[in-house]
Amino acid sequence: MTEVVLAVALGVLFAAGTFLVLRRDLARVVFGVLVLSQATNVYLITVGGVGGAAPILGQGGGAVTDPLVQALVLTAVVIGFATTALLLVLVYRTYQEHGTIDLDDLGEAMR
Amino acid sequence: MTTSLVVAPPVVALATAVACLLVRSVPRLQRAVSLVGVVGYALAVAALCARVYPATTLAYQVGNWPAPYGITLVADPLSAFMLALSALVALPVLVYALRDVDPVGQRVSFHALFHVLLLGASGAFLTGDVFDLFVWFEVTLMASYGLVAFFSGPAGTLAATRYVVLNLLGSSVMLLAVGGLYGVTGTLNLADLARWLADPPAGAHPAPVLGLSLLLLAVFALKAGLVPFQWWVPSAYAAAPAPATAMLAGVSKKVGVYAVVRLGFTVFGAAHPGVVAPGLAGGLLGVYGPVLLVLGGASVLVGGLVALERPTLEETLAYSSIGQIGFVVLPLSVAAAEPSLRAAGVAAALVYALTHSLAKPLLFLVAGTVRDVAGTTDLDDLGGLAGRSPVLAGAFLVGGLSLVGVPPLVGFFGKLLVFRTAALAGDPVVLVVAVAGALLTVLYVSRTWNRGFWGERTPAVETMTAPDRVCLGVIVALALCVLALGVGFDPVYRFAGAAGHVATDAGRDAYVHAVLGGGG
Repeated sequence: MTEVVLAVALGVLFAAGTFLVLRRDLARVVFGVLVLSQATNVYLITVGGVGGAAPILGQGGGAVTDPLVQALVLTAVVIGFATTALLLVLVYRTYQEHGTIDLDDLGEAMR
Repeated sequence: MTTSLVVAPPVVALATAVACLLVRSVPRLQRAVSLVGVVGYALAVAALCARVYPATTLAYQVGNWPAPYGITLVADPLSAFMLALSALVALPVLVYALRDVDPVGQRVSFHALFHVLLLGASGAFLTGDVFDLFVWFEVTLMASYGLVAFFSGPAGTLAATRYVVLNLLGSSVMLLAVGGLYGVTGTLNLADLARWLADPPAGAHPAPVLGLSLLLLAVFALKAGLVPFQWWVPSAYAAAPAPATAMLAGVSKKVGVYAVVRLGFTVFGAAHPGVVAPGLAGGLLGVYGPVLLVLGGASVLVGGLVALERPTLEETLAYSSIGQIGFVVLPLSVAAAEPSLRAAGVAAALVYALTHSLAKPLLFLVAGTVRDVAGTTDLDDLGGLAGRSPVLAGAFLVGGLSLVGVPPLVGFFGKLLVFRTAALAGDPVVLVVAVAGALLTVLYVSRTWNRGFWGERTPAVETMTAPDRVCLGVIVALALCVLALGVGFDPVYRFAGAAGHVATDAGRDAYVHAVLGGGG
């Protein structure tokens, strides 16, 4: 059951992220990028298996959740945090420089 | 036998980056540290090259954790070739930057960013783990973001925003593919992945690897700036300071090319035909062949055509860079499709990458100098530069002719090997695209030369100041390097051949053996 819920949630997250990335407003594009990278992180967690026991020797038995993907996600979250902070600064600078964050208006300057 | 030498290049770059930040209150000391650091980097790379040439693979297991479980760094001739290429670019570019980049920018960020870029690229060239490859990509990108947004003016901010958004999306896709690969194969180690693909355990379902490998290819194409992922290239190159652009074109882009070779040939090439998806002729690499051909061919044509009508020097060079990376990828597509040409095709791609990594930074530095002395690089406002500054114009001509492929410059051998690979494969499409691309190169180089360097002197050229001596010296040194490597091409060719050998089955076995040890 958990798998189905997670799969649906992942689908919704990826769809929402893609939708936001395609918006004209630069701030929404940033949110879209954020949602997409978080969706990737959730996907990575599911790769390790959900609902297993903690991977400690002598604890529990049977199915064990893979801790490696959680370590990967932790790394990805930290990197994502830094890049997103930088991206937000850049969007703010863009607003300062151009007075708008509407991509259609910025289109001319981007050429 | 110690393998610590493998980590020397990234450690030197990291130490220099940190040192540059620590001593930034003393600008002269900072410059000295930065220069010593890049010389140290070049020495470390040279020592590593001497160790791995002609066919040694050194594996460094971080913390002595055995291979599939720990972090592995691997140096083989392919990695060494790419490292040598970045060292060759980094040294002159840094000397140029010491004179050219404004003092405040140098003190605040330039040197740290420069060395972090080197650190990320070296790490990517050396890593033996696909997740670490992702991390090193991010390190390289972080530095590139800073360099693109360096001037933080209107154009730079927009270019950097576009660059960051595109690459964040690329990173998400890459992470998705890496996670998927781990889910399918249960390993992230490149050698272990290759071993798994060569012989998947009973009951495993390797089919998803096909889609995941193509996702990875798309991300690498984004990093290399191949069509249709080329949108970030011109704005980013135009916005960054000239030395930073030279590094982006000479080193960062090659990280994407390297990743295609390493993942494509060392890892995915291991999959036997039919194992991943039944009925797939040629296995995973057989799929890479046509995909790379489309990416590379489109890049050659789009880059060449658009370069013909760009208004400024930098933009012409940026689009030329898209086309030239297409030329690097063309022999790779042949090598992927035709197993007997793997070593030759990869060697041709590497030689072409080297020629581009020398000529393009040279041309970007000339463009930067022209901007400094004439105040513009708009081809409409330039003219008669050849008479005004013969040395600068001569260096530009050497770089341009190397792009065109005129002997005895090193670019001639790049083109020759690309054509030779295409001819050996007997693939008319590759040949036609390559000929068309070569023709376009001749056209845009001569157009740039005619409009910028010949003709009547314009007011901007008439009133320009003399170029800085050191900057000019660096440019001339790079031009001589283009000439010298062309005249003494044999060692380069042998090195590239040794690196190309890594792409063969025997090379892959040696790689897997070195990383995982005898029994494994």
